[in-house]
Amino acid sequence: MSVLRRMIRLRSVRLALLVLAVVAVLAVAGGSLAPQDPIAQDPKAILQNPSGAHWLGTDYLGRDVLSRLMDATGRSVVGAAEAVGVGLLLGAPAGLASVVFGRAFEWLALRISDALLTLPYIIFAIAVTGIIGNGIHQAMLAIGLVLAPNYFRITRAATLGLASSQYVEIAELVGASRWWILRTHIWNKVLPTIVVTAASGAAASLLVVSSLSFLGIGTKPPAPTWGGMLSSDLNYLAQRPWAPLAPSLVIIITVAALNALADALRDTTGIVTGDPGRSGRARGSDSADTAETSSAATANSAVTAGSAVATSSAATATATGSVETTTAATSSIPRQKREVSDV
Amino acid sequence: MTTLDVVGSGGRGQPQPSRPSRPSRLPRGAGLLRRWRPSGLSGLARGLGQLLAVGVPVTLLATFITYGMTALTDSNPAATVLGDLATPQDIERMNHQFGLDRPFLVQYVSWLGNALTGDLGYSYFTTLPVRDSVAQALPVDLSITLVAAVVAILVGGVTGIAAALNNGGRLDRAVTAVCAVASTIPPFVVGIGLIILFAVTVPVLPSGGYVPISEDPGRWLKFVILPGVALSVEFGAELTRQIRTSLVGTLRENFVTGATVRGLSVRRVVFGHALRNAVGPALTVVGLYVPRLIGGAVVAEAVFNLPGLGQQALQAAERGDIPVIQGVLVTSIALVLVCNVAVNVALVRLRPAAERRS
Repeated sequence: MSVLRRMIRLRSVRLALLVLAVVAVLAVAGGSLAPQDPIAQDPKAILQNPSGAHWLGTDYLGRDVLSRLMDATGRSVVGAAEAVGVGLLLGAPAGLASVVFGRAFEWLALRISDALLTLPYIIFAIAVTGIIGNGIHQAMLAIGLVLAPNYFRITRAATLGLASSQYVEIAELVGASRWWILRTHIWNKVLPTIVVTAASGAAASLLVVSSLSFLGIGTKPPAPTWGGMLSSDLNYLAQRPWAPLAPSLVIIITVAALNALADALRDTTGIVTGDPGRSGRARGSDSADTAETSSAATANSAVTAGSAVATSSAATATATGSVETTTAATSSIPRQKREVSDV
Repeated sequence: MTTLDVVGSGGRGQPQPSRPSRPSRLPRGAGLLRRWRPSGLSGLARGLGQLLAVGVPVTLLATFITYGMTALTDSNPAATVLGDLATPQDIERMNHQFGLDRPFLVQYVSWLGNALTGDLGYSYFTTLPVRDSVAQALPVDLSITLVAAVVAILVGGVTGIAAALNNGGRLDRAVTAVCAVASTIPPFVVGIGLIILFAVTVPVLPSGGYVPISEDPGRWLKFVILPGVALSVEFGAELTRQIRTSLVGTLRENFVTGATVRGLSVRRVVFGHALRNAVGPALTVVGLYVPRLIGGAVVAEAVFNLPGLGQQALQAAERGDIPVIQGVLVTSIALVLVCNVAVNVALVRLRPAAERRS
C-alpha cells in the first residue's frame, strides 16, 4: 500500500500513531495498568498536589487522578468509536442506496437526513437517555443517529460522482446488474472517502462524548470518564486551579492526533472531504483553497436555490470539494436516476 | 426547457411554482455557471417554504422517536411520582390523569396537536405547565448564544478578513494555527479555563449564576459574558476559517482584478465587491452550525451553573419527566429552524448585485 507508506513518512502521522497506540493500550488495559484503584477513596488525602504517591494528585474524595485518568480511557474511547460505528452503519449504506435505489427511497433518505441535521444533538442525547435509561450505549446510539447524515451525504456525493463516470455507463450498456456495478466499480472507490470521514468523525465524536460525560450522560457516577473528571474538578477550582489541566490535555491530544491522521489521509489519498463536524479546514496550499472555495460557492448557490433538495446538498457541497462532484450532486440527480434505472 | 430558458424566463414575472421542479437537463457544470433560482419569491416566503420542508419532517421524526421510545420502555411515571405507598388503583388513576391509558398513537397525536398550539403539557412531577418552565429557561440560552454569536462574528470576521488579505503571510499562518488548535479543545474546557482566569486567579467576574436582563442589564452582562465567550471560541474558529478560505478564493476572481484595474481603492474592492460574494459560504456554515451552538449552550450552562434549558432537560432526564424532555427538545428544534430561516433570508439579501437584477 503506497498510501500507507507515504503516510508513515510524515512526522505528524508517526506522532499521531504513537499517541493513538498509547491511547489504545490504555483503553484495553488502562484499569489494570493503573497504579492505584481508580475508585478507592482516601478521606485523609483529599485534593492533594502531585507527589510521589499520587503523580497527578488526588481529587475531592482522595482518589488518585492518574489512575482515574487511565481507567477512564476505555470508556471514553469506546463511546466515541461506538458513535462513529452507528453513524457509519446507518449513513454509508443509505448514501449508496440513495443513488442506486429509485427516487422514492432517495427522497425519503434526503428528508430524514435533513431532519436529523437540524437536531441539536446534545439535547437529543439527553432526551434519549432520559427516556430509555442513562447508559453509554443509549447515549452513543443517539449520537450515532445524529452523526449518520454526515456519512450519508459524503457517501452519496462520492457515489453520485462515480455513477456518471464512463466506465459505469459502459458497464450499464453492456448489461451489468446494479449490484455488480456497485460491488465492482463503486464500493472500493467510495471506501477511502468513507475512511477519511470516519477518522475526522472520530475526533468530532470524541469531543461530543466528553461533553456528554461532562454533563453526566452515559456514565454511572463512581466509574471515571475524562469529561466526568473535569466536571468534578469544577467545584474545587479555588483549591486546585490546575486540576482540569491533565484531563483536558488528554482529550485535546487525542483529538489532535485523530485530526492529524485524518488530514494526512486526506492529503496522501487526494480525497477532499469535509469533516462531518467542521467543514472547510483552512490549509496553506493553494489548490486546497480553490477547491474549498468553489465547493462553498456551490453550497451558496444551492441554498439560494431555495428548494429543500438544494438546501440538503449545501452540506454535501461543503463536504465534497471537487467542483465536478458537487455539481453532479446539485443538478444532475434526475439524469443519474434515469441512467441507472434504465439498466 | 433548456438552461437558458430556465434562467432567462425566471425574472420576467412569469408564474413560477413555489417548489421549483428540479432542472432535469442541465449540462454538467451548469449548476455552477447559471444558478437556478425561483424568482418572484421573496426571501421570506422562500424561507418559510424551507421551514415547512425541513421543519415538518424534523419535528415529526424527533418527537416520534422520543415518544416511541417511551412506549418501548417499561417506565411507569405514575409509580415513580406516587412512590412506594401507591396502590394499583392510585397508579391507574394517575395514569388516567396523565392520559397514559390511551393507545400510543392517540397519545402522540394529541400531544402533537397541543404542542402546535403552544401547549406543551404538564410536568409529571411538579405539575407545572411545561410551557412556563421552558419560557423561563429559554432567555438564558438565548442570552449566551447571542453573546457567543456576536463575539464570534466580530472576532471571526475581523481575523478572517485580515488573514485572507495576508494570504500566506505570517499573520495568516498564525491565525490558521490558532484555529486548528481551537477546534480540538472541548468547549467546556474553554469555559473552565475562563473561570480559572477571570473568577479564581483574577476575581473580576462571577463564576456562575444568572440575572435576567430586564432586572439589571449590567449584571446580566457580567453573568453572561464568560459563558458567551466560552461558547464563541469553537464557532469563531470555524467562522474565521470559512471567511478566510472563501475570501482568498474570491480575491482571485476576475471581477476583483477588474475592479482593481479600474483603479478602485483596496478598501472598496475588498469590502464593496469581494466580501459581499465571500460572505455567503460563511453564512451557510453559520446556518449548519446553529444546532451545535445550541448544544454547546447546554454544556456552557452546566459549566457556569445557569438555569437554562439544558439544566431542565438534565433534571427531567434524571427523573424520567417525559413532558419536560419533549418540551425542551421541541423548543430547541424550533430555535434551530428559526435561525435557519434567518440565515436563508440573509443569504438572499446578500446575493451579489449582478444576480439580483435578473
